[in-house]
Amino acid sequence: MFAKIFEALYRKVLVNIVVKRASTLVYIEMTSKKGAVDNVQSEFETTKPDEKMLDFITTYTKESPYYYISILDMSSLQGALPTCSKNRLSYYYDLSNCEYKCYDGKWTYYTAKTELYEIEKTYKETGVDFIFSPFVVLANFFKDKIGGSLALYALVQDSFISIAVFEEGKLLYAEHLDMETSNEVDDILLSNDMEEENLDLELDSGIDLESVDVDDDGSELDDLGDIEDLDSLEELDEFDDSKDAEEELLESEDVLDEADEGSFNEDYQRFSLIQTSIAHYYKDDRYESTFLENMYIADAVGVSKDLKKYLEEEMFLNVYIRKTEIDAEVCELAKEELGL
Amino acid sequence: MKYSYIKPRKKTPFTTDVQLILTFFSITLIMLLTTYAFLLFKDYSFSKERKELVKSRLALEKNIEDMDNKIAYIKKQKEVAQKVHTQNMVLKDSIANLFDLVPERITLSRAELLKNGLILYGVTPNKDVYNFMLQAPLRSIFQKTYTSFYPAQNGWLQFVSTNYINEDENEELNSEN
Repeated sequence: MFAKIFEALYRKVLVNIVVKRASTLVYIEMTSKKGAVDNVQSEFETTKPDEKMLDFITTYTKESPYYYISILDMSSLQGALPTCSKNRLSYYYDLSNCEYKCYDGKWTYYTAKTELYEIEKTYKETGVDFIFSPFVVLANFFKDKIGGSLALYALVQDSFISIAVFEEGKLLYAEHLDMETSNEVDDILLSNDMEEENLDLELDSGIDLESVDVDDDGSELDDLGDIEDLDSLEELDEFDDSKDAEEELLESEDVLDEADEGSFNEDYQRFSLIQTSIAHYYKDDRYESTFLENMYIADAVGVSKDLKKYLEEEMFLNVYIRKTEIDAEVCELAKEELGL
Repeated sequence: MKYSYIKPRKKTPFTTDVQLILTFFSITLIMLLTTYAFLLFKDYSFSKERKELVKSRLALEKNIEDMDNKIAYIKKQKEVAQKVHTQNMVLKDSIANLFDLVPERITLSRAELLKNGLILYGVTPNKDVYNFMLQAPLRSIFQKTYTSFYPAQNGWLQFVSTNYINEDENEELNSEN
């Protein structure tokens, strides 16, 4: 009773921490019963809380006893599974050392317990009230889309990519990709690509007419008859329907940056990771794989046009990119938790 | 809906600063209440003591009155005692004077002192000795003197002398004293 009265008297201070590759973003929002009163954001050149960051946080947290520290889980040992049934979870992943939660009774997101302890230990000076999974951020960000037809969703951060495939609100596949730990894999991918490119170059160098068999029965050319099928209007219409016009309109307002050399490499790395992940999705028998046509990207870093181009050209996906302020999204989750 | 892996810590408005302030105010309030209670108790104690003192004063006043009465009574008693003592002295002197009056030749066997008189019993060798040596002084003191003689076995005379003073004179003498 008294606690409720006191709670109504004080503002709530929501501190949202997002750890990036080499810095930490702290977004603080002060809310009252009427809504958000004030917000402030600061970025610190450290991944661990230092004195400067603690001072910044303390300046606002001391204003009210009702302050909540929210952190976005950045551990690499996390993911999401397409079931909430406890019996089925072990089919996908061994969760014995993981903390997991069911999202809306449809799918499960998890993270390693050790990672949670590590976060709590790292932020012991300030304490931690909420630790959110990036998959929840992704699902909430695309709340309007995941209930629709099959699509690939990705939350792109500077060092992580959280990928999920949703169909009518049901999760089919999810993977959390760490850009730093997957460098070695990317190197292999890059070398494979180079080999393919060399092959292409050999093909482009010309056709050895001598090697062409004149007596070829032309059976291969018979397959050209299928071109008519591809040209049929019905198929084309179906292809057009798969596009999200509304999202395209929204996207046209956002102008994507031209890639510089650094972002080019990163975007290529991201593309490679997404490509590998999609390959996993298609190949892994445990997941219901259906051909993906659309992809929605929640862009928290400012990806370049190249990523979209790669995905569209190489993977034949209709890619829609939405800019997101991930710290504000974490704050929204904290508000939902507190029922604000 | 709950999304977080962990539950938020319990929040309380009683932060360290608030706790310090509350402790300070609580101690101050407790001290004030204690002082107030102490003063109330003292006030009660004083009024009780005052009532007891008033009661005691009244009792003492009553005692003093009683004692004054007793003192007055004792004074009265003392006066009476002194009066009696004086009278006794007077009487003693009177008796001494009386015995001084008795000559050697007359022997008294008994004397009765009355309020307004004296009865003497004794033996005298003869009437003359009695009349000249004892009756004369008795007449000078008492207004009425009656004497009876009867012979004793040894030839002497036994006598009974009854002497009275007039009442009016006796009263005058008392009032003079």
